[in-house]
Amino acid sequence: MLKFNDISLRNKLILMQVFTSVVVFGIVFGVFIITDANSYKQRKVDSMVSIAKVLGTNSISSIQFQDPESATQMLQELQTVSPEIIRSEITNKEGQVFASYSKAGTETFSIPQILHGKSYSFVAQQLFVSNPIKSNNEVIGNVYLQVTLTELQRIKQYKYELAFILLLVALVFSFLIAVLVQGYLSTRLLNLVNVVRKIRKTGEITKAVEDKGKDEIATLIQAFNKLMDEIRENQKKKDEFIGIASHELKTPLTSIKGYVEMLNMLEQDPQKKQFVKKALNNINKLESLVKDLLDVSKIQSGQLQLEMKEFNIDELLNETVNASQMVSETHRIVKQDSPVNEMIYGDRQRIEQVLLNLLSNAIKYSPGENTVILETEKTEKELIIKIRDYGIGVAPEEQTNIFERFYRSNKVAVHISGFGLGLYICRDIINRHSGRIWVESAGKGSVFNFSLPLKHSPIQQIHA
Amino acid sequence: MNKILVVDDDVDILSLVETILSMNNFDVQAISRWEDIYTKMDEFKPNLVLLDVMLGGADGRDICKNLHLDNKTRNIPVVLFSANPEMGKYIKECMAQDFVPKPFDISNLLKTVKTYVN
Repeated sequence: MLKFNDISLRNKLILMQVFTSVVVFGIVFGVFIITDANSYKQRKVDSMVSIAKVLGTNSISSIQFQDPESATQMLQELQTVSPEIIRSEITNKEGQVFASYSKAGTETFSIPQILHGKSYSFVAQQLFVSNPIKSNNEVIGNVYLQVTLTELQRIKQYKYELAFILLLVALVFSFLIAVLVQGYLSTRLLNLVNVVRKIRKTGEITKAVEDKGKDEIATLIQAFNKLMDEIRENQKKKDEFIGIASHELKTPLTSIKGYVEMLNMLEQDPQKKQFVKKALNNINKLESLVKDLLDVSKIQSGQLQLEMKEFNIDELLNETVNASQMVSETHRIVKQDSPVNEMIYGDRQRIEQVLLNLLSNAIKYSPGENTVILETEKTEKELIIKIRDYGIGVAPEEQTNIFERFYRSNKVAVHISGFGLGLYICRDIINRHSGRIWVESAGKGSVFNFSLPLKHSPIQQIHA
Repeated sequence: MNKILVVDDDVDILSLVETILSMNNFDVQAISRWEDIYTKMDEFKPNLVLLDVMLGGADGRDICKNLHLDNKTRNIPVVLFSANPEMGKYIKECMAQDFVPKPFDISNLLKTVKTYVN
């Protein structure tokens, strides 16, 4: 069910405004109809009382001369003049009916009993009126009238219909006004929301939200802009820091690595050469760690930029398999022998980074084994690259977490070193190529898969 | 013998690269002051320039551009090297031939250098 909270701000504002207008109009019309009906009733009472008075005055002689015929005739004539009077009665001093006339089908019951001594009363859509007949200040009888109020019903019916139509008109107008007015409020808020969404999506803090108002929304937007300025400033400082740190860390590392590599080349003594090799291995580890940390900083600040170009994926796969094979003394890296024959649109260097990372993980997390297999699978829309090892595997509950920053599998944290950055970087790179990355593992061994979209462009042979 | 001019403000890296290249039979001159590069180009007439990007006071990319605007040095290939891997993106813009990220593998450095002189 749609909850009020889930409706967009724009629609909420429209709904509230329309609802308010309808309620206000409803109340106004209600009051109008009720007061109108009351004043109609009061007028009816006044006119019927005057008719009763006239009737009384005119029937004094009939009562005094005991001439009910003339009184009845008068009542009959009254009926033709005022058809709404459906029954009229004249009683004498003792309360006995002296003359009466009623329209056919009118129920005959005692009007005095209904009135209970009051001069008028409304009962069942009818008005009952009584008026004493006085002669020389002495009550000599009473006039009773029973008046039907079908007229009132008709008027009420008409007013209800009118009110209903007006209410519909009001509904339409308030809706139109609401749409116009909410535009002013919600457009400004939506501007803000759109910028927030864009920042969330791209991670880039670009321009400030423009707003000319001076209300609460303006305060909110100003505060947001100020916050974004601060973030931008901090990001700039951070980027400068990363740039400096990158340079300052890598410059001595370059010297160390170069000189140790030289030592490695020149050293003849086997034991010393062994030491130098160990040092060199660790320098390489340190180097890739520094690279990973810098990549993570770039991802975090949305600065990891891809250089998208078409490249031959088969060439890249062969190169990376060969490069990984060169550094591995323990494992054989087997590439499935069918070429993909596709061009991939992407950042070749970054895809290479992902492949090297997954291959080195496969080697690292399958100690005691000797094979890592690289397979490819082509579907209509994507190329899936699979890196299979027969190592320790990934527990089902860890299969999504391992792609998070600084996450390290419980199984390996103790005895295999690492920082938990590689897969996080891989995921970011693959996601930014509109691909997917995931792991399949059932106990022993695991398959790391990633997909890249295929465009099916003709193959271009690149000759170096 | 092919002549290579190496420019880097870090003297250790400078002598490292100088040693590597000398051992591989290149005639090498190494300078740590970027201001000297233009006179060295005239005197030494290198076949290749290996140029650091962050030179402390100057940007290797600008120097590279200047070398390509000068008729005398226009055809001498320049290979940039830097600890900032992003600099690789600027080789076209500043008309350099190639880029070597720091830290480098000796084999990788030699391979790149040999691509442009021999």
